[in-house]
Amino acid sequence: MFYQLTVPAAVPGVEEIRILEWHGEPGEAFESGDLIVELETHKAVVEVRAGQAGVLREIKAEEGDWAEIGVVLAMFADSADEAAPDGTAGDLTVEFEVT
Amino acid sequence: MSSEPAQQETKPLRLFFREAVARAVREEMARDPKVLLMGQDVGSFGGSYREFDGVYGEFGPDRVRDTPVAEPASVGIAAGVAAAGFRPLTVITYMDFLMLGFDALINYAAKLRYKSAGKLTAPMVVKTTAGAQGQGVAHSQCIEAWLISVPGLAVVAPSTPADAYGLMKSALRHDGPVVYMDHKKLFPTPGNLDREEHVVPFGKAAIRQEGTDVTLTCHSYMVRVALQAAEALAEEGISVEVIDLRSLAPLDIDTLVASVEKTGKLLTLEEGQVTCGVGVEVATRIFEAVGYRPWKRLGALPAPVSSNPVLEAECIPDAEQVIESIRVLVRG
Repeated sequence: MFYQLTVPAAVPGVEEIRILEWHGEPGEAFESGDLIVELETHKAVVEVRAGQAGVLREIKAEEGDWAEIGVVLAMFADSADEAAPDGTAGDLTVEFEVT
Repeated sequence: MSSEPAQQETKPLRLFFREAVARAVREEMARDPKVLLMGQDVGSFGGSYREFDGVYGEFGPDRVRDTPVAEPASVGIAAGVAAAGFRPLTVITYMDFLMLGFDALINYAAKLRYKSAGKLTAPMVVKTTAGAQGQGVAHSQCIEAWLISVPGLAVVAPSTPADAYGLMKSALRHDGPVVYMDHKKLFPTPGNLDREEHVVPFGKAAIRQEGTDVTLTCHSYMVRVALQAAEALAEEGISVEVIDLRSLAPLDIDTLVASVEKTGKLLTLEEGQVTCGVGVEVATRIFEAVGYRPWKRLGALPAPVSSNPVLEAECIPDAEQVIESIRVLVRG
């Protein structure tokens, strides 16, 4: 299955974040708890961690890009060679920490 | 994270409010060695709202000084070093506590040019943050209306990162004391800036939305509220001209007068108190030029701002109140 990673509503009042740093490249496998990406708000950094195992398949927003809450940042799949679906993907389970 | 991230030239320069402030301060400190920065946590911490990220690292302790929680001293020392020829930027984290600095700001800095027959001036900037955001009676106030009646004092209030940048640059070049106020609720939202270095002059308002039925004046965070209301009213067929004052002292009378001559009606909106408020001054100055027109004023209830979120929201004007006031003005 494919899963999408979207910008989480992590900080009250924040509607738009900036991508600070990706912690992986397409093709890389993630275990639950691995850091995927750091997002920057006006006063905090949001660490987004995988809540399930998966393979990063596509990054849709580069470091330094701005994205609003709910925008798709990356696609994940259960395996590295699975074909992308035609329709929409479900949401990747994530945990996030605001520091 | 000590400076803005590299961005490709083809993309717009999009920055957080705090980054726009830092950009202006760094440029002006590099341009003029007499510009100094002082205040609580402005040093290695980078500012209470991180609006001076990287400044201490670039300019060091000779030009960037942390101060204790002592607002009268922070403003007083700034007035003194300004009189001695420097251009200090002093930071008061909450506008409520600027009250403690009024003696130095109003009795000394704002009057120095007059008292010295033009021989001395106090080119200083007091940067402070106003507005209600869950912090209660003494950390929520907008007292800019108290300040615009002081001869010799300029007061500016940006509502966008671009104006935060451009007005800070003008403030640091102004030959007299300036109060530069921003708002806690403006900080989370980024905005685009011109890549070229530029200033936003004092005394120049910005028409945020053109309209024909009513003029709506506002500043700081209330510009967002005004634009929300204007969008909703457009769907009812009411065309609102939204004017962001930007500069409260001096006011851009020409732009205000031209707008009300066109629309024939005025709503003044502010987060502070309406009694002797910014809106009263705006309306009076317009009506002195064009004669009386239908006018309503909207601001905080005559009560302290509570730390109870329900009571706080009741106290502060919102888009619904703006919409209702404009319906009454336009439709009677």
